[in-house]
Amino acid sequence: MTAITIPRPGASEFALRAFANEAGKGLRLMWRRRAITITAVLLNGFMYLMIQFFIGGGHLVLPVLALTLPALFAYVSAATAALQGSGGITEEVNGGTLEQSHLSPARPVLLIAGRLAALAVEGLVPAAVLALAFGLGYRPHWVIRPDALVPLALIVADALGYGLLMTALTLRVASIGAVVHVFNMAVMFFGGMFIPITLFPHGVEIVARFVPTALGVEALNTTLAGRGLSAAWSDGSLPWLLVHVAGLAALAWGTYLYTLRRARREGGLSPR
Amino acid sequence: MTSFLTALGNEIRKGLLFAWSERLQIVMELPFFTLFILLLGPMLGAGHQIAAGHLTWTLSSRRISLLLLAFLPANFFYFQAVKLFWRLLGEVQAGTIEQVYLSPLPSWLVAAAGRLIAAIIETLILIAVSYGLVSAFVTLHFHWTAAALLPIALLVITGVGYSLIIAGMTLLWKRIQLLQETFLMLVMIFAVSALPLITVPGWFAGLGRIFPATSAVASLYGVMLGHRGVTALWGTGGLVWVIITAAAYLTIGLGAFRLGERITRTRGTLGAY
Repeated sequence: MTAITIPRPGASEFALRAFANEAGKGLRLMWRRRAITITAVLLNGFMYLMIQFFIGGGHLVLPVLALTLPALFAYVSAATAALQGSGGITEEVNGGTLEQSHLSPARPVLLIAGRLAALAVEGLVPAAVLALAFGLGYRPHWVIRPDALVPLALIVADALGYGLLMTALTLRVASIGAVVHVFNMAVMFFGGMFIPITLFPHGVEIVARFVPTALGVEALNTTLAGRGLSAAWSDGSLPWLLVHVAGLAALAWGTYLYTLRRARREGGLSPR
Repeated sequence: MTSFLTALGNEIRKGLLFAWSERLQIVMELPFFTLFILLLGPMLGAGHQIAAGHLTWTLSSRRISLLLLAFLPANFFYFQAVKLFWRLLGEVQAGTIEQVYLSPLPSWLVAAAGRLIAAIIETLILIAVSYGLVSAFVTLHFHWTAAALLPIALLVITGVGYSLIIAGMTLLWKRIQLLQETFLMLVMIFAVSALPLITVPGWFAGLGRIFPATSAVASLYGVMLGHRGVTALWGTGGLVWVIITAAAYLTIGLGAFRLGERITRTRGTLGAY
């Protein structure tokens, strides 16, 4: 009898493959639903214009558009991550395939990292398309410098933290999907897509700063106004943004691990 | 007939049980919706103030009353359509959607009726509590009259039609939550456009009339704030247009649901396996 030894991948190679498989799955699903994604991009653009119309009293006020456009980018990233993350995990729970993915020897961190990578792309593509379309179409007076990339990256991280938190809650709270729409409306309203959060009454402004992406939009507006990262640091928006991103990521990750462990224990990885 | 009524009763009961299981969510939604109505008022039409870097936060009784009026259909549409979408999607994904066809009821009635009563109750609770919370900050002036029930009834029919369109799309394309969310926002925006809050261009008003809640909200405005009757025939809030909107959305909804159903049954993709 001849024994054939199959070469086993190393730990890092295996981790990379597990990550890539999970991310690839999300991206393939996105590609399959591209017609929905494209329609949603167009509708989001139209909705933003209509909101601007209302704020402008029947016409577009370009300085307001310049102040709120970063929030459109943030909202689309966050809303897509939350809706698609929650919808995706609901589909896997209902279809019974979430249990299968957890039969893998890969650690949950790899699976969720792959899922988040796909959500990041899924949110960033429509957000970037909309920001570019409005940016090129209306040419707001922005000072675009490399330092704007810092709050931009932190906005994406914050949006993903929010998406992960909603995904985690989906494992625990009955029909969270419908509530995600309300949370998304809160991100839209208190995140700066109607007016910059600094114009809210003081008490509301403090609450709004806890809303995902709100601080990121504030810091991004500061850099796009040409005042640089140092201004965002000294007015407190950048340090608080860093705290918010880290805090939300820790909360989301902790909630995800907790709900996953509980779902495993109580048989909640498949429909009950 | 008895089996028909039993099946219908069971679906309504199921819808109410779902609504009860989601009571915590309604509690979470209340403070947000109240704050939303209160804060939105001063923002509308304040573009130049915002551009100048300040905004006067004065709560106008008339403006907040108007916004609350536009908020009623938005809530009903949210409870009817959004929750129907997630429930239907869950049944598609779990494979239990096919059991709908064991019922003696028409499938569209099973889909829509199960949510309708629950949606009406949820909307009433939310509106009553929101009304109470908002009126703690600002005096609201509504002319309460039974005549308002006519546009409300037509709004409910329109909402059923709208939710059936969403249901048909769900059967066909499954995960349409991104579209669902944006559609809902547009329904809300154009419902507000029916009210005399800001001056909108003709094309904007014309476009608004196509959206499901606009004409019913205009009619509600006439009867509850404008001290007019509901029997005036023409114009955005005119009875003719409100009836046409309700009839058109119900007809299109039924058609969309049946079409989505037929395509998915032909393809064998009613459930997702």
